[in-house]
Amino acid sequence: MKSVLRRELLCLGARVFGVAGLRGHVSGELAHLEIAVSIGVDRRLNEDTLSQLMKLQKHTVRFLKSRGYRTLAIPPDSDRQKGTFISKLYKLFTHKMAATSAGIGWIGKNGLLINPDFGPRLSLVTVLTDAPLEPDGPIEHCLCGDCMLCVQYCPSQAITGAEWSRTAPFVELVNLSACRSHKAKKRATDGKPNCGLCINICPYGRKESDSHNAEAKKPALERC
Amino acid sequence: MATEEKKKELLEKLRNAVIQYDEDTAKETANEVLSVGMDANDAIFNGLVSGMVEVGRMFEAQEYFVPELLMCADALYAGLDILKPHVTQLDLGVKGSVVIGTVEGDVHDIGKNIVKMMFDVAGFTVYDLGRDVPLDKFVQEQLRTDSDLVCLSAMMTTTMTGMKKVIDDLRTKNPNVKIMIGGAPVSQDVAEKYGADGYAKDATNALKDAINMIASLKKMKDEVEAKKAK
Repeated sequence: MKSVLRRELLCLGARVFGVAGLRGHVSGELAHLEIAVSIGVDRRLNEDTLSQLMKLQKHTVRFLKSRGYRTLAIPPDSDRQKGTFISKLYKLFTHKMAATSAGIGWIGKNGLLINPDFGPRLSLVTVLTDAPLEPDGPIEHCLCGDCMLCVQYCPSQAITGAEWSRTAPFVELVNLSACRSHKAKKRATDGKPNCGLCINICPYGRKESDSHNAEAKKPALERC
Repeated sequence: MATEEKKKELLEKLRNAVIQYDEDTAKETANEVLSVGMDANDAIFNGLVSGMVEVGRMFEAQEYFVPELLMCADALYAGLDILKPHVTQLDLGVKGSVVIGTVEGDVHDIGKNIVKMMFDVAGFTVYDLGRDVPLDKFVQEQLRTDSDLVCLSAMMTTTMTGMKKVIDDLRTKNPNVKIMIGGAPVSQDVAEKYGADGYAKDATNALKDAINMIASLKKMKDEVEAKKAK
């Protein structure tokens, strides 16, 4: 079932696909949904990205439901309808947690999900389910190594340079208020809150970079 | 006008859309109901609500848990939003208006929203004040709208005490108003001590009560129709 779902999603334009086993990691209300399907697409931050994510998510939900399993689709962060009942539960679970647990990547120094092939240039959705999909192993530690590019380039010095680990207690990776106030300033001057330097500078998956290029050219998963 | 068969099919579809928490199908089917000229009331009670009653049963049997329950409620609302403007009000003798909100200092409103759904379905006029509502606002809103019922919700013991003040104020200004309170810290004792007319323990129980009330409403509706048929 997993390989069929994987193939279908990759055909529909998913870049990465992973399954996380979450037994014992999710809070009470979601405890019976212990499998998370994590799906990522190229991050272009436009309407297409969103509609593509929604398409993939709906496909996954239909796929699993038609086989008699339960699903809880967690929509993309940029498309959260307020005012629905279920929206209250979305924040109990994050896409990044699903993705690291599914072995798609780790949390980089910039606080974003880093995939070895696509770097931080992914947009994610998650579908929680009780379907018996075999989980992929999690990535437990930050693989950024000595790279400090995002720390150096961050215009608001928000990135602390601390390293994430799945097993260690929470450490502050990014000073969110510094990041936010920088974006607010940008909005005031340019009319747009765009920054994204920590995404652009990341050598993982960067098109013109040399360092990880050899690896980046290898496709992550077999395409169809 | 739609044939009986088509009607049955659409009702079944609405019911399943709620049980399967499928918002898209609920919307689609609700639109289809309108386009074939079916009675919206029929579709709500024998389609959507009948699905929700089944969901309540599944929840009690622990086949469904809170997330499914919430998604089912969302599906019900998706259909309801489309059908509601086309409802011809049936006189059940229970129509009325209600002021509802979560008291000052409290931002938990899942339970409140589920209770609100019950009133929406039942055809009440609902004045939803939202969450973290200043205590005076309840009294003002009740007087302004002359509502029959005021529903207060609190999730924390610290905010629960605010309900006492609202109830006292309401009682002095308008002794006839009915007051319901709900939320995790609320008990029958508290309800009695505070002088409320009714209480629901938490979202789960509120929903059970809500479903019971909707179910009995449905019964009343059937009776009204049976009388008419005679």
